Amino acid sequence: MLNSKTSALGIIFPNSYDATVPELANVRLMASIPFASRYRMIDFVLSGMSNSGIDNISLLVNKNYHSLMDHLGSGREWDLVRKNGGLTLFPPNAEKTSLHYTGRISALEGIIDFLRSQKEEYVVMADANIAVNFDFAAMLDAHVASGADVTIAYNETELPDGYKKLSGEDSFYYTFNLEGDRITEIFVNRNREGKQNLSMSIFVLKRELLIEIVDAAFVRGLRYFERDVLMNAFSYLKMNGYKYDGYVARITSLKSYFDENMKLLDDANLNALFDTAPVYTKIRDDNPTRYIAGAKAENIMAADGCVIEGEVENSILFRGVKIEKGAKVKNCILMQDTVVKAGADIEYIITDKNAVVSELKTMRGTDTYPIYVTKHATV
Amino acid sequence: MGKEMIAMLLAGGQGSRLYALTQKLAKPAVPFGGKYRIIDFPLSNCVNSGIDTVGILTQYQPLVLNEYIGNGQPWDLDRLNGGVHVLPPYQQASGSDWYKGTANAIYQNIAFIERYDPEYVIILSGDQICKQDYRDFLKFHKEKNAEFSVAVMEVPWEEASRFGLMVSDENDRITEFQEKPKNPKSNLASMGIYIFNWDILKKYLTEDEADPNSSNDFGNNIIPNLLRDGRRMYSYHFSGYWKDVGTISSLWEANMEVLDPENSGINLFDEDWKIFSRNSGMTGHKISKGAVVEDSMITDGCRVDGTVKHSVLFAGVKVEKGAVIEDAVVMGGSVVKAGAVVKHCIVAENVTIGENTVVGAMPTADSAGVATLGPGVTVGDGAKIGPNAMVSSDVEGGAEVC
Repeated sequence: MLNSKTSALGIIFPNSYDATVPELANVRLMASIPFASRYRMIDFVLSGMSNSGIDNISLLVNKNYHSLMDHLGSGREWDLVRKNGGLTLFPPNAEKTSLHYTGRISALEGIIDFLRSQKEEYVVMADANIAVNFDFAAMLDAHVASGADVTIAYNETELPDGYKKLSGEDSFYYTFNLEGDRITEIFVNRNREGKQNLSMSIFVLKRELLIEIVDAAFVRGLRYFERDVLMNAFSYLKMNGYKYDGYVARITSLKSYFDENMKLLDDANLNALFDTAPVYTKIRDDNPTRYIAGAKAENIMAADGCVIEGEVENSILFRGVKIEKGAKVKNCILMQDTVVKAGADIEYIITDKNAVVSELKTMRGTDTYPIYVTKHATV
Repeated sequence: MGKEMIAMLLAGGQGSRLYALTQKLAKPAVPFGGKYRIIDFPLSNCVNSGIDTVGILTQYQPLVLNEYIGNGQPWDLDRLNGGVHVLPPYQQASGSDWYKGTANAIYQNIAFIERYDPEYVIILSGDQICKQDYRDFLKFHKEKNAEFSVAVMEVPWEEASRFGLMVSDENDRITEFQEKPKNPKSNLASMGIYIFNWDILKKYLTEDEADPNSSNDFGNNIIPNLLRDGRRMYSYHFSGYWKDVGTISSLWEANMEVLDPENSGINLFDEDWKIFSRNSGMTGHKISKGAVVEDSMITDGCRVDGTVKHSVLFAGVKVEKGAVIEDAVVMGGSVVKAGAVVKHCIVAENVTIGENTVVGAMPTADSAGVATLGPGVTVGDGAKIGPNAMVSSDVEGGAEVC
C-alpha cells in the first residue's frame, strides 16, 4: 500500500506495441488481447496498480478501443469505481490532439490540463503488453528512496524474437547500460545476443516533472518519450533502473503470444504469475466447465463455461469454448466461445473469439508457425 | 411510484438436517453446483424475472450469508431504488424479538415492504434449487384475480403425505390445505412460494400477530386463515426442476443431477436464464498430464493431477496425483492428497484429505450413505471415513470413522 506521503496516479497506454501482433490487434488493441484462459492483457497492470493502492488511473487509448471499454465497464472488478479518481478512459481527441496520437508525448499532451489539475505527487506509467504481477508500490518506494528523477523498470532477458524483427515505424524497444542502479546509456532497437537489460516501459516520476517534460517536448515536435526525450536527457535527469526479477510474459509477436500462453501450463510459471497478488478481470457468470462422458483432457488450462466432449491436449481454453464429440484439439489456444465441431481435428491453431471449426475439418499449424483464425470466422 | 411486486426471501432456516454443513452456515449459504450457493437460485430468478427489490430474512448464522450478499452487485441488485436488503431481526422500542415464525419474519418487516408500496409480494424460500420465471406466476395470479396464489408441484401419490398439499377445484381454486396428511386428497405439493396481494397479506399478518396462540407460520396459520375466510386462493402448477435440498442425500443428489442436465432438467448452461453468483476470481482450472476427468464439472482454480469421475469440483479444489474422486461433491478450496480415494460423498469447503485416505464408498445393497466432511476438517493420512459418517472435527491419521 502507498503511504500518505507518496501518492501516485497511474497512466496506461493500452495501444502500445499493437503493431507487434497485427493479427490480434486488428479488431482490438494490445490491452484487450485475451491471455491465460480468462484474462485480458490490461488486467495485469491494472490489478497491479489497484493492489498497490493506485486508484486514479487514466487510460490513454488511441484506436480500436471498443473491446477495452466493454471489458473494463466502470472498473468495478478492479475496485476502481471511486468518487475521486477511479478509472478514466481518455479517447485520443478528448482535448487538443488530433484523432490519433503518435507516441507518448502527444498522448500525454492531450491530457496535460487534467495532469495539472491532479493532486498526486507522482505518476506511474505502464504499457499493457506485459503480463506481470507487478508491485508498483515497491517501485515507487525505491524511486523515492533513490532520489532519482525518473525510474524505469527492466528485466534481464534475451531479446524476444518478436523484437529482433521489429521494423515498425512507431514500435521501439529499449535496452540500458547501468552503473549500479543508474542508467548510463539507453539504446533503441539495438539487436544484441545474450542477456540484456530490457525496459518494461514502466516509469515513475514526479507529476510536475512529467508535465514539464511533455510541455517542452511537445512544442519542439518531439513524439517519443524514451527515444526523443530520455535518451538525450542524461545531462539534466538522474535516471535509475528498477530491476524486476519476477515472472514476465511479454507479448512481442503472435508466436510469443502462443508460447507465453503455453508456458502457463507449467504450474511453476502459473504460480509465479498469479500467486503474489490477485489479478482481477471482468466477470462473465459462466457455469463451471463440464466434461461429458467420453471427454479426454490432458495438460490443459480451461476457464469456466466450457463444454468438453472430445479430446483436448496441451491447450488453453478461454471461457465458453465447446469441443464436440470426436473432435481432437492439440497444442491450441481457443479464445472465448470458440466451437470445435464434431470430428474436427486441429493442432497448433489460435482461434479468436466466436470462431467455429466445422465438422470433420482437419487443420494444422506448426510449432514455429501457429495458424490464426479470426474473430467470428468459420473454418 | 410503487413497485408492482417485490420479493421477500425466507433465509433464516437452520437446515439442521444438513448437520456438519450448516453448523456455521445458514442453509441458503450452502454451496451448490460447482460455483453457486443455494440462495443464488431464488436471487437470480428474481433478477431474471424483473424483480429488483428483494428483502432477505435472516436469523440463523447470518455472517457468511451477509458477507456473500454484500451490496447485491453480483445479482445486479445494487439499485438506487430497491435492490437487495438483508433484514435480520432488530431491536424495537417495545423490546427485541427473534423471528418467531415465517409469518412473523415478514410481519416485523412491514415497514420495509411499505417503503416500496407494492401491489404484490412474492414470498420465496431460500433453500430450494429451482429455476422459475416468477413473471409467469404473477401473470397467473392476475388472470385468476387471486388474492393468494401458491406454486405447486405434482408429487408421486405415495410420497404425498410428506408435503403440504393443496386441494383445488377444476379452476385451480384452492378448497382445502392438508399439512402432511395421512390420507392425502391431492398430490399437489406446496413449494413454499406464494404471491399475495399486499393489502391481503398485511391484513392477515397483523391479525395473526394479534393471536397469542398462533405459531406465526404461513403453512400453519396464514393459509388456514385465508381458507377460513373464503379468500380467492389458487394453485399455480409448476413443472420445471425443483428440489428442496434439505438433507445430505437430496443435496448430493441435486449436485449429481447438475451433471446430467439432459435428463435431470436442471440446466446451468442456459444463456437465457443465468444463475449469478459471487465469483472466486481464480485463474482457469488445470488438468495435468496423466490426469483423468470424466463426466464432471470443474470450476476455476482447480488443479487436477488425479482421477475425477462423475463429480462436481468447486473453485480451487486440488486433486493430487493418484487420488481418485468418484460420485463426489467437493466444495471450494479443499485438497485431496495423493492416493486418497473419495467416493459417493460431500466434502465441504477447505477440507484437507490426507494421503491414502479412504472417504465414503460406492453404494451397496446394504448401504447407500453419503459420507460428509464438514468445512475446514483435516483428515489425517491413511484414515478411513465410512459411508455413513458425518465428520465435523479433525480426524487423526490412520483413524477409522463409521
